[in-house]
Amino acid sequence: MKYGEKLRQTNHEALMTLGALVFVIIVWLACGFGLAGLDVQVFHVPLWVIGGLFGTWIAAIVSSVVLARLFKDFSLEDEDDAAVVADEVHHE
Amino acid sequence: MNNGGAQASSSLGIASLLPVIIFLVIAVAMAVVLRRRALKGAKGDSFIEEYYIGNRSLGGFVLAMTTVATYGSVSSFVGGPGQAWSIGWGWVYMAVVQVTALFLLYGILGRKIALISRRINAVTVIDIIRRRYNSNALAVVAAAIIVVFFATTMIAQFVGGAKLFESVTGYSYTTGLVIFGITAILFTTIGGFRGVAWSDALCGIVMLLGLVVIAGGILNAGGGYDAVMATIETNHPEMLEPLSNGNMPWTLYFTQWLLVGIFTFCLPQSMVRCIGAKNTKALSRAMIIGTVVIGFMMIVATSLGVLSAGILTEDLSAYGNSIDNIIPAAIVKSLPAWLAGIAIVGPIAASISTVSSLLIASSSTIIKDLFMAHREKNGQAVNPRGIAWGSQAITLGIGAIVFILSLVPPSVIWKINMFAFGGLETAFVWVFVMGLFWKRATKAGALCSMIAGVAAYCISMGLGFKLFDMHQIVIGVTVALIGMVVGSLLTKPAPEGELADFFPEKS
Repeated sequence: MKYGEKLRQTNHEALMTLGALVFVIIVWLACGFGLAGLDVQVFHVPLWVIGGLFGTWIAAIVSSVVLARLFKDFSLEDEDDAAVVADEVHHE
Repeated sequence: MNNGGAQASSSLGIASLLPVIIFLVIAVAMAVVLRRRALKGAKGDSFIEEYYIGNRSLGGFVLAMTTVATYGSVSSFVGGPGQAWSIGWGWVYMAVVQVTALFLLYGILGRKIALISRRINAVTVIDIIRRRYNSNALAVVAAAIIVVFFATTMIAQFVGGAKLFESVTGYSYTTGLVIFGITAILFTTIGGFRGVAWSDALCGIVMLLGLVVIAGGILNAGGGYDAVMATIETNHPEMLEPLSNGNMPWTLYFTQWLLVGIFTFCLPQSMVRCIGAKNTKALSRAMIIGTVVIGFMMIVATSLGVLSAGILTEDLSAYGNSIDNIIPAAIVKSLPAWLAGIAIVGPIAASISTVSSLLIASSSTIIKDLFMAHREKNGQAVNPRGIAWGSQAITLGIGAIVFILSLVPPSVIWKINMFAFGGLETAFVWVFVMGLFWKRATKAGALCSMIAGVAAYCISMGLGFKLFDMHQIVIGVTVALIGMVVGSLLTKPAPEGELADFFPEKS
């Protein structure tokens, strides 16, 4: 992959990450404030706390895993130089 | 002032001291071993590459842990839970937003920074800024901001750790500062970036362990989980509400989202870790592992504050009138000496892991971003041996200054930390984000952004001026944004081709 292509890919990755952020914010709101009206407790902890804390945490973890999966790996070394590519092939 | 308001000083004796000492000895040993190994396999070309960026060799786990440990500081263990003791579950709900810090860093900037920094041979964050904007002035301003804010943060960390140490072990503040402060400075000087990263990993593990021990102590002392929770509900029912009876307004949630959630990825001490990554796999792994760890850490640590309200049922005045005394009081009340000793290793590790990262970064700013850049600009060569010696001397020197300034501590850790935090975020957010994603950003824009933003932030913080009663981060970031956009649009764009390393060429 050429350097320019890699840079372009990182732009897409940044956008995907922003999408993930929006997702986590929504979960944070919905599972925390959203549940605050319910007078339910789980192990003495209000439901909105459980939702707000663990819901958000899980949403972030899921986001990370999904993002990691969507981000294709590439070499950070400069592959534009033919000599470097040949060198890497030798090392594989 | 020196006593930090610690009440009836406990004297848990030597048993509480041993765990910390053992931990510190291991950290130093690790730094020595890593340095020997690194020098053996040295490529020979650059001391700087090894000392300040570990030869870009960090794998996923260490990368994750060093990012979390650098970010998680004493306030995560003392100040944050202390607030939670006072406010309740709302504060924990707010703290959980920090869970986004890692994936934002590695998702938005991680690969881009890693890619570009290798291309242009950047070792520091300022290297990237200098090359992007082609401005020495900007680099110098950035360097000044980094050094000042890092210094205040390091002092705050040392202070927090030493106060905790004193409150729990009964040994003096100065003793604590000498024991872990000098050790931290030493292993940073010896180990460089690589040593810091690995010791951060150790610190991260220990931080988690410390949390478990403190949690156990509180629950045990409170008569078990049910009893603790019942006590809280009886005494402070408002703690179970998100708005905590007005103590936790929605505006605070909003600004904290910005301050400790969203803008943290622009902190230079976080961004530099992307430069040190081994490969893209490491970055991806760090994103996942880091998110898991930071979530656990922030949720558990801050929740401990709420739980401690079940055993610390008196008014704040009984605890020296500072929320920073809550967790130390909880530890002392609930744990025997040897366990208390293990418990405090957690917050102390949080403190020194932050300090070590900031110290090595400050050193790199002085040596690489200021001194070496200056020599390069004047076309003067740099003596490699001199640099090697100088880098370590500067690291030691800055450490010594921070140590001395920490001997006479200022009063509230949390506020100081947040001041530097917001200042750094304001300075770098648009300079970096626009710099890497908006081709039109110019050096004039960056200068305006950094200077006007930080000035606006500091002045409004100093005056206590708030817009809509919201934290000044809103002011800082907005002014910085305006500065960047207006400054850039009013000046000529960079000549075609100059930004080829930063923006994909039109194919």
